[in-house]
Amino acid sequence: MSKYLLKRIVYLVIVFFVVSLMMYAIYNLIPSDPAMIQMEPLRKTLKPDIWQQQYQELRQEMGLNDNLLVRYARWMGFIPDVNGKFSGMLEGDFGRSINYKRPVVDIIGTPMLNTIILNFLSTILTLAITIPLGIYCAVHARKASDSAIQAATVVGYSLPTYLIGILFIFIFAVVFRIFPTGGAKTPGSSYTGIMEFLDRLHYMALPILVLVFTGLAGMTRTVRAAMIDTLSQDYIRTARAKGLKEKVVIYSHAWRNALLPVSTSIMGWMIGVFTGGSLVIENTFALNGTGRLYWNALTTTDYELVLAMQMFYTLVSLVGVLLTDLSYTLVDPRVRIDK
Amino acid sequence: MSEKNNAAPKQPKKKEFFLFRWIKRAFFPNRELDIYAEEQLQSPVRLVIRNFFSKPLSVISLCLLILIALLVFIAPNFVILDLGEQDSTLMNISPGFSIMNYPRALEKNGIADISVGNNYAVGVDKAGHVYAWGKTRVSSVINLSDIPEEVLNAKIVKVSAGSDFILALDERGTVYGWGNNRLRQLVLPDEIDSNNRMHEFGIKEIHASDQFSAALTDDGRVFLWGNGNFVDLSFREEFSGHVKSLALTNSAYVILTDDGAVKCANDHASTTITKIPEGLESGVVSITASSNCVAALKEDGSIVVWGAYTKGEDKIPEFSSKVVEIEGGRYHFVARCEDGSIVGWGSNRYNQLDAPKAAVTQKIDRIFSGSFQNYALTESGKLVTWGLKGFLLGTDTLGRDIFARLVNGGKMTMTIGAIAVIIETIIGIILGGIAGYFGGVVDMVIMRIAEVVSSMPFIPFAMILSAVIGTRISVEQRMYLIMIILGILSWPGICRLVRAQMFAQREMEYVVAAKALGVKESKIIFGHIIPNVMSVCLVTVTLAFGTAMLTESTLSYLGFGVPLPTPTWGNMLSNAKNSIVIQNYWWNWLFVGAVFGIACICINLIGDGLRDALDPKANGR
Repeated sequence: MSKYLLKRIVYLVIVFFVVSLMMYAIYNLIPSDPAMIQMEPLRKTLKPDIWQQQYQELRQEMGLNDNLLVRYARWMGFIPDVNGKFSGMLEGDFGRSINYKRPVVDIIGTPMLNTIILNFLSTILTLAITIPLGIYCAVHARKASDSAIQAATVVGYSLPTYLIGILFIFIFAVVFRIFPTGGAKTPGSSYTGIMEFLDRLHYMALPILVLVFTGLAGMTRTVRAAMIDTLSQDYIRTARAKGLKEKVVIYSHAWRNALLPVSTSIMGWMIGVFTGGSLVIENTFALNGTGRLYWNALTTTDYELVLAMQMFYTLVSLVGVLLTDLSYTLVDPRVRIDK
Repeated sequence: MSEKNNAAPKQPKKKEFFLFRWIKRAFFPNRELDIYAEEQLQSPVRLVIRNFFSKPLSVISLCLLILIALLVFIAPNFVILDLGEQDSTLMNISPGFSIMNYPRALEKNGIADISVGNNYAVGVDKAGHVYAWGKTRVSSVINLSDIPEEVLNAKIVKVSAGSDFILALDERGTVYGWGNNRLRQLVLPDEIDSNNRMHEFGIKEIHASDQFSAALTDDGRVFLWGNGNFVDLSFREEFSGHVKSLALTNSAYVILTDDGAVKCANDHASTTITKIPEGLESGVVSITASSNCVAALKEDGSIVVWGAYTKGEDKIPEFSSKVVEIEGGRYHFVARCEDGSIVGWGSNRYNQLDAPKAAVTQKIDRIFSGSFQNYALTESGKLVTWGLKGFLLGTDTLGRDIFARLVNGGKMTMTIGAIAVIIETIIGIILGGIAGYFGGVVDMVIMRIAEVVSSMPFIPFAMILSAVIGTRISVEQRMYLIMIILGILSWPGICRLVRAQMFAQREMEYVVAAKALGVKESKIIFGHIIPNVMSVCLVTVTLAFGTAMLTESTLSYLGFGVPLPTPTWGNMLSNAKNSIVIQNYWWNWLFVGAVFGIACICINLIGDGLRDALDPKANGR
């Protein structure tokens, strides 16, 4: 197991650096010259040859004349920069945002917390609904109630998230006026303590609802399929043959085993929500989360921030894939992967 | 199972829905076979097709998807989209063709006056009743058909419709106004409004324009009010008492004096409207205005047009006889000749110029034009209408026809989705085929690449690619870029599937036979094995098509797909991101959302149906 884990982690690190190199190369496709940006205002005050000399010196100082790999290594923190200092990703320096004029590390905190809260709450709610619903569908497979739920889930996973978002805004914020249409807190309010929490929750409710609805569809189908598969197993037949009550068969024998494959797909689903889903949701509801931050950074060409966030996304999905693979062994001892 | 199948042919068959029966007969001319004959005669492909079509849900979804595809690929040939087109007066029109549906009650008492505003019109009958019809809703609170009580009680003789407000004049000379008052278009000057002495001025004509209004009195005096920052509302006193008529464009006005001359009464003649061309110093009978032009009709029937013409308002046609009346719309003029013919010129975007037969054959008393509508009043007191009736699905926040954008956007979205899937499938099959057939190091390398690609966060990565590369290329190239990005980022799924199938197939006898015959390896992979694997890929490809469409629209929704004004379903929906649109202008998102949603659901149902049809266990054997 530990050998396998080690192998996977080494592999993860390699993939991470490959992807980051690719990202860095793409980032460098953008024709931008920070030295020129700094020197441009001085062009009129200095003589052309002096200006040219200073410009070249600055380029040298900033390390812009070195090739892509050297610059990448500096940015990553493998080798010291021109001043002989290590200041790269690995040292925890993620660069500076041009828009916010602050280090990226300082900016990313609050949105990250918001996104995590959003995903955490919606995950818990989704699982709380989806597992009983999936089991119910499997037990009542091919009956009217099951067919109806199946039809609803097809709608849920076919429609794009933002369309469901718009629909929910229309239903819950416009027609019934239960929730606000967007934002993170009541404008101008200065609640503290429990009131602040409730206010935040009130504003987060609709995005969570949308995420739950979209997650519900896919997960219910997964749970249902797994449960139907389990119910056709021999040990279930044995349990029934023993004369156990149907309730005991379902809730004691079947569902634990059915949830084994489900638990692994939860991880994949969460990664999807964290990267793609939050982007759409936070933009639709104007929530201050990582997705919105990333979108803002991209639209305002704040590329240092984009690059840092892209690294973060890559890391999240790589670790997610690893955890998914590991969870196979953790939840199902029959799966052996330490070969 | 076998019992049931043996018994089946004897039982009378239930009659099925004609569509299924028709499709069945078209594809499977044989009658149903019992299980033994079936196995001998039917190829697997046929069996799959039969399984698929035996499910009503799959068939309905397939029909719906084909219908939507036909709509978006055929309709754009007829509903041609002009990307640069937008008109502030056509913004946010609700769906329907009701703009010229005037109330029949108007005709009953005889029509006294009609005035046309933006997408609505207001009329008054000879009994003094006022009616407003068309798209009268200006905002969530203002509706022009809410005619004030005092107007309903008064005996109105003249009405004038501005862009979003109405003025009415009663027989005593009192002016009423209702509608949007944000630019003080309804606030009459203190001089006439004070002390209830309005009737003493003897107002005989009222004119409402886009942002300002004017009144003309019996003794030839003019009063102007409204948005003075946008329009020069000054009036030179030397003309006071000599004004016969007025013409108001959106941004200026000119007067017709009682000696038949067209004059600018502003302190400074600055716009193209107020620079009156030569030859209009005398002999002008009437003047009328379109949005940006003025037309003057002279005694001899000749017409002079000046102003900022953009859509051919200056191209005056030949008339068959003397012109007796001219009227101006937004971008067009209509003239009535002595012999009863009606001739229009200018923009014909909404058929404003094509007077129907009824207007030519009957004797016309008067014509009323404005916006994109025309009304002709026949001698018998009936109205004949032509021009813009409305839009099937309404217009969006920039005044563009949603139906045109829906079908054109659908074409774009579906094309991008289809091509992205083709790219994805080709890459997936080639790499998966090679990896699965050769195995070993090749397999390892390809699968590692696949893992790298699939572990990259999809949407953020596609966004950064689109943002970095997309800024330097044209719209069309950007469209191809999106297809390629989608294709390149999503092939690992198909690759894995093909590889797994390849592992099973490469041990089969036919492959060994091909090898023994000395067939080239590339021929074995792509000529012998892949065709056998294709049917399994079909499900994945179908579902991938839905995913590709979804991803494209998500990218466009976030602003990193196909850029505006080129429509796709995604960027049309991104229009609806703000709550005002969601709340007040539901047609902006509902129709697109519905069609897109149905298309996505259908694709998924077809994919599910195919999966069941391909499943060997599904036949109960």
